[in-house]
Amino acid sequence: MVKFVRQLQFQLFLLPILAIYSLFTIYPLIKSFFLSFTNFDGYTEAYDFIGLKNYVRIFSDDAITSAISYTLFFTFGKALLVTLLAIPLAMILDQKFLTRNIHRAIFFFPSIPSGLLLAYIWGFILAPIGSGVLNTVLRELFNIGPQPWLSAPLLAKLSTIVVATWAITGWHAVLYLAFLQSIPKDYYEAASIDGANRLQQIRFITFPLLAPAMTVSVMLLLTGGLKVFEIPFALTKGGPGYETYSITQVIVLRGISETQYGLASAMSIVFFLIVLAIAIFQVTVMQRREQGIQ
Amino acid sequence: MKKTSLLLLITILCLSVVLAACGKNSNTGNTGNTGNTGNTGNTGNEGTTNNATKGKNTPKPVKLSILAWNNEKEMKPVIDGFKEKYPHISFDFQFAPPVKDYIAKLQTMLLSNTAPDIFIIAAENRNEIIDGGYALDLTDEPFMSVMLDSNKPMLSKAGRTYAFTQSGWAGGLFYNKQLFQKAGITQLPETWDEFIQDCLKLKEVGIIPLYDRMHDITIIHSAMFGSNVLSKDPTFDEKLFKGEATFAEGWTEVLTMWKEGLIDNKILTPDMIGLTGDQVMNEFSLGNVAMFPGGPWNIATIEKTNPDIEFEIMAIPGKEPGNKYYNGAPGVGFAVNSKTKNKEEALLFLEYMTTQEGLKQFEEGTGGIITAHGYESKVHPAYAPAYNDGLMAGKIYLPMVSWDRHQEALRNQFLVSIQDIAVNKITPEQATASLDKKLKEMENK
Repeated sequence: MVKFVRQLQFQLFLLPILAIYSLFTIYPLIKSFFLSFTNFDGYTEAYDFIGLKNYVRIFSDDAITSAISYTLFFTFGKALLVTLLAIPLAMILDQKFLTRNIHRAIFFFPSIPSGLLLAYIWGFILAPIGSGVLNTVLRELFNIGPQPWLSAPLLAKLSTIVVATWAITGWHAVLYLAFLQSIPKDYYEAASIDGANRLQQIRFITFPLLAPAMTVSVMLLLTGGLKVFEIPFALTKGGPGYETYSITQVIVLRGISETQYGLASAMSIVFFLIVLAIAIFQVTVMQRREQGIQ
Repeated sequence: MKKTSLLLLITILCLSVVLAACGKNSNTGNTGNTGNTGNTGNTGNEGTTNNATKGKNTPKPVKLSILAWNNEKEMKPVIDGFKEKYPHISFDFQFAPPVKDYIAKLQTMLLSNTAPDIFIIAAENRNEIIDGGYALDLTDEPFMSVMLDSNKPMLSKAGRTYAFTQSGWAGGLFYNKQLFQKAGITQLPETWDEFIQDCLKLKEVGIIPLYDRMHDITIIHSAMFGSNVLSKDPTFDEKLFKGEATFAEGWTEVLTMWKEGLIDNKILTPDMIGLTGDQVMNEFSLGNVAMFPGGPWNIATIEKTNPDIEFEIMAIPGKEPGNKYYNGAPGVGFAVNSKTKNKEEALLFLEYMTTQEGLKQFEEGTGGIITAHGYESKVHPAYAPAYNDGLMAGKIYLPMVSWDRHQEALRNQFLVSIQDIAVNKITPEQATASLDKKLKEMENK
């Protein structure tokens, strides 16, 4: 009993954030779920229940099917690239060299400004005409003609992944760096006494001990990637066609522009379930991996 | 323990996913306040200039709220002029940029009963606003006689008009006279084939003929529909929404002409999809491209970028000679909130906008083209053809105004389709079939 009361007084401190969280997250979620069974258009407050009709419509919607495939491609492409780049980058930033702190700051910086801002600037660099920055550089240096970075279906998809990777790699490198620094130096000393070379040390000490960092980093990359909106929106507005529409962009398009709130709410609910499934699967697998390694 | 807390974290992160879309919407609800009325002349006026205009009883002060997509600088002359006349009325001016931001913001405000006294109705939200009963019926107000009849349909339902507009716009192709001369083009094209020939002539001498971003139902498409379909059957869109005609019947020919003329001849190339509006205008101003689709809003920037440029606007010709069209529509209309507490003052403001003085100040502030009874608008010489042959002759067309329902859904389907045609993913027949499918889907939703 005493323990319970003690517990309770700590729990009390959680009340304010619980209230805010309920108001801004739980309530809208329940409301979205409710609206997904109606034909609410976002304007008139009179609407009818139409059962599962919205859910049926989702699967015959070209935009959403295209958006799901692009979003998954973007998410896994970005997660893979960032992980491949961030771990070596973290190891380099962990070395002792003169401009170490400046370098850490430089790599971290792109994750601070809004993605929208970064993408607009990249829009100038990747402009598909001859006078675009990247196209000018390619012409001057290698005599390559203008490339449609943002308007050919595959190139546009890759461009958005590259820009997103550029923006977030430094942030994830800092995350790995924190875990790297928590690895006791004794392990490395012991290993080198046993005659392990640098590569073996990385393979058998650094990598396994970074596993928890990887779980967190990959989870953030996956959930963040699935929620992507700003970067493709600012770079390509979803074009050409539906090629680079993200799921969130389709939800905004159907819900706000086309005044089909009911349909958009149904999409949000399905989207929520997809993200939940992927995230739970990923964490379970990676935690098992952690335990296996350790 | 660790596992459960991680699972909790995942669920929270996922929950925030659902709200990604809502978040955008609710944000817009309170951002516009930054454009609060910073009119400095506000207080000084009260003591000095009000004596001439108003009678003995000083009316009690009223604050009118306005939401517009004209920014504060553009609206300042009208508002200042009005305040000079009615010093007891002050303003809470809010701005949201066109089109989507404005519409989303107004929508949020209307739904939460916080909408301003005066707001604007655009082609994109007219159905929702009028059907929802959010705007006051202005049909019988005496000042509405100033409004051109051709401006009324966009802001009306069943013969009742719900907003006042004093302006209109027409867009066409701006062309660079020097570059046309260089390519040996002495006469403007009278038919679509001549237009394509002229583009090819420009290409031959190494000039890029035309930039088009293909990011909307383009100016070229709208005008082509006007010059090829509307010129024969002015009621086509009416039939379309009564179910008596289809997109396939009206648009297949237009899209085929567009594809065969511009895409197959590589006059328009898919890489142009990635351009921004500013880039296109800049390239034209610098003489790197001979034509681009634009409107009156581009003229000042073109001249500022390159004062020596010789340019003019031209119409899009049809298949047969004599059918030239522009793309265009009435300007947005100012409406009064049906739930306003300051109805009298709001109507006073609208009335002021219809006076010669109000029209002049609106023209000055916005640089727009005034199309109202008894007012002659000064237009830039480069824009004269569009004003005389397009706006005043009624040879303008904009699907967003002419389509009766589901404009946004159809517009989006249209732009996705033309981009798919441009990258050779679908044919014009498939494009119009997808539009018919979309219309059917929206009717049955």
